[in-house]
Amino acid sequence: MPEIVVQFEASSQPVEALREAAYRLISDASCLIDTIDGRHICRLIPKDRTGRNPDEIRSRFLDLVTDQNLREKVSAETAGVRNVIIALAFGALAREREASQTG
Amino acid sequence: MARFQGASAFAPASDLQLLPLRFERVSEDRYVVSNLVGDALILTRQELDRIVALELAPGDGLYERAFEKMLISVKGQQSQLQLLAMRLRSRMAFLQEPTPLHLFVVTLRCEHSCPYCQVSRRSIDRERFDMSTETALRAVNVALSTPSQTIKIEFQGGEPLLNFSLIKEIVQAARRKAPPGKYIEFVIATNLALLDDEIISFCREEAISISTSLDGPADLHNKNRPRPGGNSYQLTVDGIRRIQDALGPGRVSALMTTTQASLDRVEEIIDEYVSLDLEGIFLRPLSPYGFAIKTKQFDKYGRQEWLKFYERGLQYILDINRRGRHFPEFYATLLLKRMLSDLPTGYVDLRSPAGIGLGALVYNYDGKVYASDEGRMLAEMGDETFQLGDLATDGYGDLILSAKLVDLVGGSLSQCSPECSSCAFEPYCGSDPVYHHATQGDPVGIKPLSEFCARQKFVLGLLFRLLEDSPQDAAILRRWAGR
Repeated sequence: MPEIVVQFEASSQPVEALREAAYRLISDASCLIDTIDGRHICRLIPKDRTGRNPDEIRSRFLDLVTDQNLREKVSAETAGVRNVIIALAFGALAREREASQTG
Repeated sequence: MARFQGASAFAPASDLQLLPLRFERVSEDRYVVSNLVGDALILTRQELDRIVALELAPGDGLYERAFEKMLISVKGQQSQLQLLAMRLRSRMAFLQEPTPLHLFVVTLRCEHSCPYCQVSRRSIDRERFDMSTETALRAVNVALSTPSQTIKIEFQGGEPLLNFSLIKEIVQAARRKAPPGKYIEFVIATNLALLDDEIISFCREEAISISTSLDGPADLHNKNRPRPGGNSYQLTVDGIRRIQDALGPGRVSALMTTTQASLDRVEEIIDEYVSLDLEGIFLRPLSPYGFAIKTKQFDKYGRQEWLKFYERGLQYILDINRRGRHFPEFYATLLLKRMLSDLPTGYVDLRSPAGIGLGALVYNYDGKVYASDEGRMLAEMGDETFQLGDLATDGYGDLILSAKLVDLVGGSLSQCSPECSSCAFEPYCGSDPVYHHATQGDPVGIKPLSEFCARQKFVLGLLFRLLEDSPQDAAILRRWAGR
């Protein structure tokens, strides 16, 4: 199956999301990502065993990138509150253990 | 004249904030969206985008759903964060009770010759493949030094009843040496072929439970589990009935293993369990260990075939429940408990960090100690990756704090693994490093290529659909989970 090329503007598309999407696509295609002249160029090399055609692989990759962009946004916006919750959860645990050892 | 104020007067006083969430696309425009502790909704993309953008208002329905599932909060409101923290702590509480499970491989000998045997049983040489009393007593000392107040000692093989005298010694030693307040449960995992009155009497006196193997109707079971005389099925069924009569119906359970010959017969297999008054069934695929690899049994069916088998079986089991018989599928039940409650799981494969060592230790017949049952199965294939030490030289602290285990456990956190860290199913899942090491040569594994991951996503997706779309099935599934 021929190589599939998908390009993105580097200024508007973080490469991290492309890497994550490439990882999730591993069962269908291997992906090489180069950044040239302000564009991320993703070369998707379909796996022999995949049952998907090139259009389906391209479409799936774009879906994965879209999802990953949203994940990155959620992760960035909730990092602070996630740390607070984890500190509340396990900080209390450490205090309980300390109290049981000293008391 | 007094008048009601407009809805805007009751809007939250401060701004909304997004709480940590993860999502997974399960079909074209359907997403499972879960919070830090696994409360989940099925949403369209538009709904998901609205929540992330906080384009919500009281009364629009989505605001209430997102609030209820703790996907959003009001800035400055501490109570929701504290509740999430408390629930997260509860879900991880298994870490406070390390190593509750201790598996004693009292012999590797077995009189069956199952082609899928995952432990690579031996048929001869008592001297070489039986655990010695000295080794067993050392293992008892290690098991009793674990901090957990309640521990379970499970006797495994081979066929452990071939070394029943050692089982008696271990039970008596553990009872005698247990410190005050330590509670010990015992289980014998046996094919029941050697069951006799003495064994039943001992099990009654010592409150020992029995776990056996039953693969389905006679022809299927005997094909999967050959033994001299070709009577494995009859011996197993007779044994189950004798234990039910002598010890009570809840004291014997059975496990099935799916072979290629099972794939078209899930209903018959389930009927067998129902007719024997067993309390449920665990629909299990073959695992990639031991003779299952050597005899190529593992390669005889693929992922899709097993998933179809499982789905058909689950639907059939739900139908039995709809007719009034409480009969759970145990794997779904384990997952449902993770999905619908914050109880910490005792099932080592559904934990992160993984249950290796922290959930279970395996004392092999030769004194070697492994981090899991599958770890010792790999060792019989020549791969000692999960050997933690030897009873001749190592105590509990040496085993649990060994650099090898610390590395393996540290690397097993699904919260930090690629794909898992952002997967909506992560709160209900585990990492199973032994499986990934066995199949991919790496304990973390490449999840898009992982059969474990595919199976988890399929079964969890199926359970979510049933909970969301089928009120009658949802009521049954909730009952299985005790909710």
